[in-house]
Amino acid sequence: MATTTESVSNGGGPVHEDKGETLRPDDLSEMLAAGTKDVHEKAENTQFVKDFLRGRIRRELFKLGAVALYYTYTAMEEEIEINKDHPHFAPLYFPSELHRHEALARDLEYFYGPEWKREISCSPATQRYVDRIHQVGQEYPALLVAHAYTRYMGDLSGGQVLKKVAQRALKLPPTGEGVEFYQFDAIDSAKAFKQLYRSRMNELELDAETKSSLVDEAVKAFQFNMEVFEELEEIGKTFQEEVSEDGMPIHGDTGGDISKCPYYASKMAASGGMAYACQLAMAILRHPTGQVLIATWFAVLAGLVAWYLM
Amino acid sequence: MDPDTDTKTMADEDEPLFSNLDLFLFSLIVGLVIYWFMSRKKPEPIPEFKKLEIIAPTTRETSFIEKMKKTGKNIIVFYGSQTGTAEEFANRLSKDAQRYGMKGMAADPEEYDMGELSRLSEIKNSLAIFCMATYGEGDPTDNAQDFYDWLQENDDEDLSGLNFTVFSLGNKTYEHYNAMGKYVDKRLEELGAKRIFDLGLGDDDGNLEEDFVSWREQFWPAVCEHFGVEALGDDSSIRQYELKEHTDINMNKVFTGEIGRLKSFEVQKPPYDSKNPFLAPVTVNRKLNKGGQRHLMHLELDISGSKIRYESGDHVAVFPTNDAALVNKLGQVLGVDLDVVISLNNLDEESNKKHPFPCPTTYRTALTHYLDITHPPRTNVLYELAQYASDPQEQENMRKMASSSAQGKALYQSWVLEPCRNILAILEDMPSLKPPIDHLCELLPRLQARYYSIASSSKVHPNSIHICAVVVEYKTKTNRINKGVATNWLKNKLVTDNGHKSTVPMYIRKSQFRLPFKASVPVIMIGPGTGIAPFMGFIQERGWLKQQGKEVGETLLFCGCRHKNEDYLYQEELEEAEKNEVLTRLNVAFSRDQEHKVYVQHLMKKNKEDIWKLIHSENAHIYICGDARNMAKDVQTAFYEIAEDVEGMTRTQATDYIKKLMTKGRYSQDVWS
Repeated sequence: MATTTESVSNGGGPVHEDKGETLRPDDLSEMLAAGTKDVHEKAENTQFVKDFLRGRIRRELFKLGAVALYYTYTAMEEEIEINKDHPHFAPLYFPSELHRHEALARDLEYFYGPEWKREISCSPATQRYVDRIHQVGQEYPALLVAHAYTRYMGDLSGGQVLKKVAQRALKLPPTGEGVEFYQFDAIDSAKAFKQLYRSRMNELELDAETKSSLVDEAVKAFQFNMEVFEELEEIGKTFQEEVSEDGMPIHGDTGGDISKCPYYASKMAASGGMAYACQLAMAILRHPTGQVLIATWFAVLAGLVAWYLM
Repeated sequence: MDPDTDTKTMADEDEPLFSNLDLFLFSLIVGLVIYWFMSRKKPEPIPEFKKLEIIAPTTRETSFIEKMKKTGKNIIVFYGSQTGTAEEFANRLSKDAQRYGMKGMAADPEEYDMGELSRLSEIKNSLAIFCMATYGEGDPTDNAQDFYDWLQENDDEDLSGLNFTVFSLGNKTYEHYNAMGKYVDKRLEELGAKRIFDLGLGDDDGNLEEDFVSWREQFWPAVCEHFGVEALGDDSSIRQYELKEHTDINMNKVFTGEIGRLKSFEVQKPPYDSKNPFLAPVTVNRKLNKGGQRHLMHLELDISGSKIRYESGDHVAVFPTNDAALVNKLGQVLGVDLDVVISLNNLDEESNKKHPFPCPTTYRTALTHYLDITHPPRTNVLYELAQYASDPQEQENMRKMASSSAQGKALYQSWVLEPCRNILAILEDMPSLKPPIDHLCELLPRLQARYYSIASSSKVHPNSIHICAVVVEYKTKTNRINKGVATNWLKNKLVTDNGHKSTVPMYIRKSQFRLPFKASVPVIMIGPGTGIAPFMGFIQERGWLKQQGKEVGETLLFCGCRHKNEDYLYQEELEEAEKNEVLTRLNVAFSRDQEHKVYVQHLMKKNKEDIWKLIHSENAHIYICGDARNMAKDVQTAFYEIAEDVEGMTRTQATDYIKKLMTKGRYSQDVWS
């Protein structure tokens, strides 16, 4: 086998044959990196992610994405807490460095207001992901690592790029509101932390079969994530919004509230309907000139009535 | 006439002109008519359409030269940006230009004909700045792809009229760090363009914003120097802050050294962090060495009651203050009363940063607690102070040192850096330089917290944080004595000072330097000099685990000092640990106890078989702590040599092997320069 000079990335690395032993190909960190390489590429290439990276992300969709993340991380961190002393998870217990559900709650409060908990709900794809996490935490805790690995390592890598994209595309404040999910305040160096995390994964005492199941579970985790992306993509299509040339949605000004969209309203008008007539009536009443005319009409009417009575 | 019709007629006369039905119909008609008029006049009685600004692509200027000429710009900032960061930097740079009497514009290389770069010579004092981000595997960003292709393909392009500089955005965790920026910088020069200022490298894994701001601060003075342009206004230089003196102020509202909230040093509230440090009492402060010129010290800080938790390997951050004597001298040289209460208020009301440091405060507090007065000032500081030198030669020298000309850089190197001149030294050695103190306070950088690797284990000392440090003190080429701020300040933190307890404002910064999770994993620790600090914590912890009955793996230590009888740090503790078999092997290198220098790497090589066995077959973790510049490199080389000697690897194989250990978190470094 020739010595490869591949760049070292994410736990993977060149495998060479030296005099004697190979370089421990049964290290969990390496197995995971190798085993998820393909599905990782697939996830990067979903339409949702590609659009996101180009700044094509509508506020409403981003908010729904944050909601999905909230349910996911709440479930995962719940199971992590329960299993924090389990020998198959304990070395990876880093709550202050990693846990995201509080940051996500703050982001959701920023987007949905103080009553955010009542405004959000768990979508079907997210629910399937959440169910799996709970199932794993309860029945087969060794596999919980697969979910933690898939999410947290990703957040500490490409996730940092997503933060900048979101801030720019959604015109979020530079002080970080709305993207606290992406900020790991207790981690100085993402690189050093990932190295520490890998060493801890490799310290887990697991037999070959469990390690193999773990890799399979990680692939599943990616798939769950992709299903959530696809679901978001479908929801996005129903918004009927247009995106202008430079990637900025036209509805930036309306704050994503579809009823304020003139295009939407005129579309409704074209299709006619009672709703339109009512809306029209309301509009007339709202408009000052309309109010004057209505008032005049009533005045005329009242005048005639008065005359009649006299 | 019959009575009915009569009644009817009479009733008719009594009745109004119109019947109820008529009235109703009339009003209805009027209403409908009004409605009809309204709907005709109003285009659409729905919330108004905002006129959308569609960028009309029909008559877009693709010549940036023409655009610059039309709008009077001489500086153009091109950006290769994927996520908007480089674009933002480009915008900021183009705005900066006006501070220096120039006009800039930011431009997307995808929208312009980059082939026109050579035409920039048509514009007086022109300059092209490139903010280039690297994407993916060392690739250009989407909007810079065409430019990249153009650069590659056109070997015979003559760019000799082009003045340029590049700031590169990248991330050290990626293999092709800043490849794009580096390429543009190199290639433009190859094609004959003139580099006005050095390539700036921004690392998003570290602090990209800081890298950018540092680079830009040095860049503009260099540009001004190059074009012979002065920063706008001789007496009204671009001040960011406005001075306000408080003549009658409640002293309770004045900051006396707090980092964050007013009175936070008097009323302490957890949680403690970089904005709200805990004032930890000093319980131990002893000299560690028995002889020699230096002063090595061991301090213990009491954190009881603070709810602060730490782990061995973490760092303790302390907020030091400047030497009072130095502050007084500054006051004298500047000829001001340091105890005036002042505020410096940001002229830009939009800015989040209202003041450069907590205000209102006195100059004395600012110079003691908030400002860095010991590091050699950066070139932009010299540039802005130059205007206050009445002697023309001194003024010229100040400006020159800020330029990026070879001569200027050499002067800065030889006059400021090599002799380690701090701001006081500069003021003393340039007697005509008399800056106003408030402008100086605006220019000096903030005094930074200092970090020390904690030398204790929280399992053994949950309420105490130990520090091991060497006091920095040296004589400069100008015969001045320079003292390290934090180490001298710590040295003077006696346990009791006139009856008070000395306190140290501190907080914990978590690190990733950690013992393995399992006690049975062997560890190899290499920490000469004060690099031994975190390993004292590690050794205490392994000892504690052993006491708990855990199976503890081999624990090797390689440390060192100059002379066994002088500065063998923690000799008693270490020998005890070896005796108790907490330390499997203690290897101490005494560098100056013999003719030839003996360092840790020499002792490592003596133990190469054991070391290799632990690494290769027993999954040992390696830890290095101490000097980054020489020691860390030498130790890494020693590992390569061990792999080569014992396992027969080539240098390339050995390098890959160690690199892989790093990726997998089995080779960690806590090093400082």
